[in-house]
Amino acid sequence: RSRTSPTSRPLFLSPPFIEASLVEGSFKKFVVLPKYVDEDEWLAVNVFEFFNYLNMFYGTVTDFCTAMNCSTMSAGPGFEPYTWTDQNQKKSTKLPAPTYIDYVMTMVQNLINDENVFPTKAGREFPKDFQQTVRLIFKQCFRVFAHIYYHHYEQLLHLREEKHFNSLFAHFISFAKEFSLLPDKKELAPLEELISYMESKGRIC
Amino acid sequence: GFGGKGGQEYVNFERSTEGFSKGTLDRSTAARLKLEHFYKVTLDQARERNERRTELEKKLEKEDCSGERKNRQLQSLGRKESSFLRLRRTRLGLEDFVTVKVIGKGAFGEVRLVQKADTGKIYAMKTLRKADMFKKDQLAHVKAERDVLAESDSPWVVQLFYSFQDTSYLYLIMEFLPGGDLMTMLIKYDTFSEDVTRFYIAECVLAIEAIHKLNFIHRDIKPDNILIDKDGHIKLSDFGLSTGFHRTHDSAYYQRLLDGTLNSGGGHRQLGSEANINLTLSSKDRIATWKKNRRALAYSTVGTPDYIAPEIFLQQGYGQECDWWSLGAIMFECLVGYPPFCSENAHETYRKIINWRDQLYFPDDVHLSPEAEDIIRRLICAPEQRLGRHGGEEIKAHPFFTGVDWDTIRNIEAPFVPNLKSITDTSYFPTEDLEKIPEQPQTTERINTNVTGEYNQKDLAFVGYTYKRFDELTRKNAL
Ligand SMILES: Nc1ncnc2c1ncn2[C@@H]1O[C@H](COP(=O)(O)OP(=O)(O)OP(=O)(O)O)[C@@H](O)[C@H]1O
Repeated sequence: RSRTSPTSRPLFLSPPFIEASLVEGSFKKFVVLPKYVDEDEWLAVNVFEFFNYLNMFYGTVTDFCTAMNCSTMSAGPGFEPYTWTDQNQKKSTKLPAPTYIDYVMTMVQNLINDENVFPTKAGREFPKDFQQTVRLIFKQCFRVFAHIYYHHYEQLLHLREEKHFNSLFAHFISFAKEFSLLPDKKELAPLEELISYMESKGRIC
Repeated sequence: GFGGKGGQEYVNFERSTEGFSKGTLDRSTAARLKLEHFYKVTLDQARERNERRTELEKKLEKEDCSGERKNRQLQSLGRKESSFLRLRRTRLGLEDFVTVKVIGKGAFGEVRLVQKADTGKIYAMKTLRKADMFKKDQLAHVKAERDVLAESDSPWVVQLFYSFQDTSYLYLIMEFLPGGDLMTMLIKYDTFSEDVTRFYIAECVLAIEAIHKLNFIHRDIKPDNILIDKDGHIKLSDFGLSTGFHRTHDSAYYQRLLDGTLNSGGGHRQLGSEANINLTLSSKDRIATWKKNRRALAYSTVGTPDYIAPEIFLQQGYGQECDWWSLGAIMFECLVGYPPFCSENAHETYRKIINWRDQLYFPDDVHLSPEAEDIIRRLICAPEQRLGRHGGEEIKAHPFFTGVDWDTIRNIEAPFVPNLKSITDTSYFPTEDLEKIPEQPQTTERINTNVTGEYNQKDLAFVGYTYKRFDELTRKNAL
């Protein structure tokens, strides 16, 4: 599949794709904490949905996200590849993107399925450090977004998923901003331009 | 590229899915559909949540109660909303429900009385075998059934609380109606008095009217689908047939019936001999014969055509009035003991329905009031003449219903109030007939949503088939 982009500008930042959007208008109404609702509960259900949908869309590019095509987990040219820090070994390693993302997805899935972290039974409370966990999940999910935007956007286009993916991302960022869950500036850099664009269009609030 | 916009070049991207695996294409379709569904549902839920809040705030405003009490009530709503959100993360599956007993059987699965393991609450769980439904091309229907049940808050419709699926089955978790169904009641009592009949038929009129107002045609109203709640009032179940659930609603099937090529279950009989048999059998004998076969008919995949309007068979188009025909047939059965066109096999029933003009026959040994006979004849007739074709009001105004208070009927005492010993009392269900059915459906894997999990093409049709109802949290147990 040949690159049809005439410039070196990433496809996702080029019109018409940068404008593609499934949901009209601002995500404000989707992200604000509903009055009287428990904030952790709101974070939990949203993390749950973001993870599921991101996972689902990543699932549509896994045929192309192979150790050969994506030998490092990165957000594109000019950005340092991400390193995975193993919980036990305390050691940072560079991994092929599919391995890295598999680690992310497995970790998040395990957290979400852990009754002690994401309680589902009646009467069970959230742990004290829940927001920290959410922040960690957001950071890793952001990296997966970045990897897909930089390395698999063509596939998204062939599959006509760009509206969906853009909206999911705009929703994700809006939510993160609302609850101060955004990763730091350095982390955000690869998608900063996309975020600014979406902000200028009022999609991200 | 084309001309720029805001200085940026428009990119011309040639799309093609050539070389994409089928698995990827399926996953992509599923992902897109699910996300679209997600935003639709999320927006609806946000809207509803807002309504609940503003309603309560307004109410508290009016009540002029203490600030502390106000606060307590608002906090309580917040807790309810929070647990509703929690429910969204809770993946219910078969393992969350314990079967108490198999209580019913339909064409595509069974109905079980189940108890939710953590809360102890009681529900009716209907299973639908996906494979059978695919074979019969019934998917649109399943969605329709779910949507209508889910969207209606009508007291005349059985409520749906959750639904989930695995690779083989769809599961509907509904409110349990402990009083059984009208079919079972008719098997027990043979016939009803006109007063009792008036009660059930009047409630059915309101129920049918309610679903018609939801822009729905039931098409398969029959005593098996008229369920009895704990107070003895009725609710309609099974909106399956709305888009053609059963073989009996399959046009090719009708054609074969019409051509006489269908192998009828009850053995062949010479046509034309029917009239003689009618005369030689007393109503009592006919009731006995009918009852002997009734349950088997209910359990068969073919179902019974006894209550279906002729215009449905004839495929000339039909409207909501087809449900009023069914009501006429049910009313006939309530008073006479068997439905008007019952025969030894579906083929003959079908022929009689087509020839209803010559075949509608009130037996001499059963006494009906003139009003009762008249309303039946005005329901079992050509669609253009049928009472109810301009709405339920027409039927309500018929002299047979003189004295019925349409506004309060659901609140008055029903003629038969189930005598229940516990919340899991199944004495109104023919459970002994269902003993061979396993306690648990044959479980299969859950649908895999992992990165690597292959989506099954078939599952796409069921996207969005996971429903959880807010009321479930707020609802008090019926008993
Ligand atoms: N919510 C419920 N509460 C109690 N009993 C129920 C409930 N739903 C169904 N039943 C029982 O199960 C029987 C079969 O259910 P139902 O008619 O919904 O199945 P079905 O597969 O649609 O069958 P069919 O399509 O042939 O009518 C009913 O006649 C009734 O006795």
